[in-house]
This record gives sequence, C-alpha cells and structure tokens, in this order.
Amino acid sequence: MADQRFDHKWGMVVDLDRCTGCQACVVACQSENNIPINTKDLFLQRRAYEWIRVERYWEGEFPNVKARFIPIMCQHCENAPCEPVCPVYATYHNDEGLNVQVYNRCVGTRYCANNCPYQVRFFNYWEPVWPERMRNHLNSDVTVRSRGIMEKCSFCIQRIRRAELKVEQQERAVLDYPTMKKRNFLPACVSACPTNALTFADQSDTTGPVNRYFKALDDHEGGESAPRAYRLIEEVGTKPNVIYLKKVDKYPLKNGGGHG
Amino acid sequence: MRLSAKMVTLGLVGLLGLAVVGFVLVVLFISWFSNPPFGLGNAPPQPVAFPHTIHAGAPEEGGMGIQCEFCHRNVTRGAEATVPAVEQCLFCHEQVAGRTATAKAEIAKFRDNPDGIQPINWERVHRLPDHVRFIHEAHVRFFTQGDTPDRQLEVAQVCSKCHGDVASMTEVQPMKGQSLKMGTCLDCHRENSVPTDCTVCHK
Repeated sequence: MADQRFDHKWGMVVDLDRCTGCQACVVACQSENNIPINTKDLFLQRRAYEWIRVERYWEGEFPNVKARFIPIMCQHCENAPCEPVCPVYATYHNDEGLNVQVYNRCVGTRYCANNCPYQVRFFNYWEPVWPERMRNHLNSDVTVRSRGIMEKCSFCIQRIRRAELKVEQQERAVLDYPTMKKRNFLPACVSACPTNALTFADQSDTTGPVNRYFKALDDHEGGESAPRAYRLIEEVGTKPNVIYLKKVDKYPLKNGGGHG
Repeated sequence: MRLSAKMVTLGLVGLLGLAVVGFVLVVLFISWFSNPPFGLGNAPPQPVAFPHTIHAGAPEEGGMGIQCEFCHRNVTRGAEATVPAVEQCLFCHEQVAGRTATAKAEIAKFRDNPDGIQPINWERVHRLPDHVRFIHEAHVRFFTQGDTPDRQLEVAQVCSKCHGDVASMTEVQPMKGQSLKMGTCLDCHRENSVPTDCTVCHK
C-alpha cells in the first residue's frame, strides 16, 4: 500500500547568493514550531534550539572583510546517518522524502544527534517553558515536545498536511501536486524569506523550480546545467534533500579568501 | 543468627529494588489497561446529566432520534466535533421542560439559571493526546462521500464506528466498544487502504 497520497518528493534549494543573513527564517521557525525561547544560558551551555540557524563566516582580515551566511536546517538526507542508530525507530524516512521524527516514540538516547554531521538535532534537556503571556501563542498543529525528546526540522509537515486537507475539504479536488501548488504548503522559513533565498517544491515536478538542481546533482553533471549547486558535506554520502547554490562574488577581496 | 550490618544493607537494597520493579509493573499495567491512563477513561460526572438515550435513541425505543450532527455541528466541517452551545439546547428546551422530576431538575439547571444563560462546563470524555492530529471532517467525508456502498453511510453510522452505539448510552463511555488506542486507528486505516505513515496522524 502506498503511503503517499499523491506522487511527489519534497526538496529544498537554498540560494546563498540571495541570503542576506537577516534571520527572518529563524524567527519564523521558532514561532511556527513551538520552539522554546533561547536564552543566553542555553547558548552558553550549547543547548539552544534552532531548527534552522544562520551560520556566519568572515572572509578576509578586518577591516577588509565580507560576511558570508549559510542557513542550515535538517537536510532530510536520503541516507540519513540518524536513522539506523535509533533503537526505537523514532526517526525514519517516509515516502515523501522527509526525515521524520516521531516524538511519542522517542526515548531520548541522543544517538541520532551524535551521528548527525550537520548538528541539526536538538535534545530537550529540560521541560520547555514559555512566559505566561506567550502560552496562547503556541501553534496547536505542532506538538510541544516534553523533556527527554529529540526534535528537529520537519519541513513544516503540519503545513503540508493542512494544505492537503484544504484541497480535499474545500475544493473537493483530486489531491495532486498542481492542486497543492495553489495552497500555501511552504515551510515557515520559506514563506518568511524576504529575498526568496529558500525554495521548497516537489523534486519530481519537471516544470518546478527545484527539479533541475536535483537532477543535475543526481546525474553528476553539475558543472554544466547547475554550476552553483552542491550539497553540504557531500563526501560522507548522506545525499540530502536540500541543495545549496554557492555565492557568486563579483568583487572578491584582493588579498582575502578562505573562511575567517 | 545475628544480622551483620552488611546483610541488613543488602536486604534493604533488595527490598528497595523489589519496590521499584513493582511500581514500574503497576504503572505499565495501569497504562495498558486503562485508556487514557489512570482511570480517566471512565465516564466523568457531568454538570448536567445528559441522556444520549433520550436525545439520539431510536423513536421506537422512546428516544427522539436526533441526528448526531444536529448537535455536534462541526463534525462535518472541521477537526473537532464540538459540543453545542447552550443556545442550541434551548432551541428545543425553551419549550420542552421534561416529563419526570429528574429531567425537570436537570433542564432547569441551564434553562432557569438565575444568572441568565451560562455555558455548561461539560467534562471532557474523549481526550486526544497532544501529539495526535485527528480531523473528524475527513473521516466523516471518507465514509459518506465515497464511490462504494460501504463508503456511502449515514453520518451516525460513521460516528458509531469509533464511538460505539452512543444512542444506547446514558453516560458516554470511551471504552465501550472501542479502546481508541493507536491500534484501533491503524486497523481501520489498513482495512480501508489509507496511508499509515506516522506523519498522517502524528504531528
């Protein structure tokens, strides 16, 4: 039995040439996914929750510097290192190309976080608390993760499910990618990005915006049709469903270069 | 025989271990056989003793035969079936004061309230865990608007698939008929060839 309602596979393309490091995606993600508020303490303990984070790198020597940004979220790897190490199958790959974390199955061994090369899994060391006035801000479509649970980016699966429901319920339409496209199924970070640096779409849709990058990388012809496309830490063979497009620097630093 | 300090310590540790294991076993036992855990599955006392038998029961058995969706209006529209507002009760009970003394007393609780018409604080019977997404509308639609006869049911027939024969219950009990655990959901999903991916229900 197919677990897919319609034939599709999600994928994301991040154009680093467009990313300005504004952190709108981070804020959108925090509020959409009921992520606890990151305090200074949590950062100092290296226990801050950021399902998507914008990493900043300096290029060159001060004052002749350039800032480089790269947003990093769960890469939803095809060969995910987090999946085989989970003793209770709390994380698995579903037919839609998503790496799913099942919160109520998780027992908190933290093996997955230790095996993840991208550092995008976060463990709830404490019961999450929100200020009293923010209790009603919580998104009811997302579970509030309790203590001892691993959590990570889900590509906003709740938004995809809501869009699917609306297609069937309000339009009584057949559920497929063209009808889905008319609905807002985009993850919170993608819809918040002011420069459209993030693109989320169906990989198998040949007319779609992300198909050509995945095709180019999967057929190993990156140099020709998608010269800027690459995957993060490609050499470990995780085969992520997120593709990055490298920044094109028209005016490179004279004596700079390399990551500072 | 005199007990050495070591033996006493060992005995105490053993007793403590037994107590811990016993506690875990009891917790597992309770959480498996009660739904939801710790006895919440029994019908809680309600502020107004509402008999489904009289309202939804068949006319030949002395009921009114009111359709489920007449009161639980949102069941064909949204995620929650919803409990009706008091105004909906008064739609009939403005005129209907009840026949027996108990019925009169119960109806008077919300109809002749000295503070005016106040919402009734019903006690929740069916409690959905936080990590589950359940949309009543989608399930009712699946069984009422399909192509085959077994998917062209009346709304009431769809309700009873999970909730049991509510029309014959004076107090609605969640455990009657179905346990409403995940296994119940999965059995039905498999039977009807609908997706069983975790993310279909878990959020």
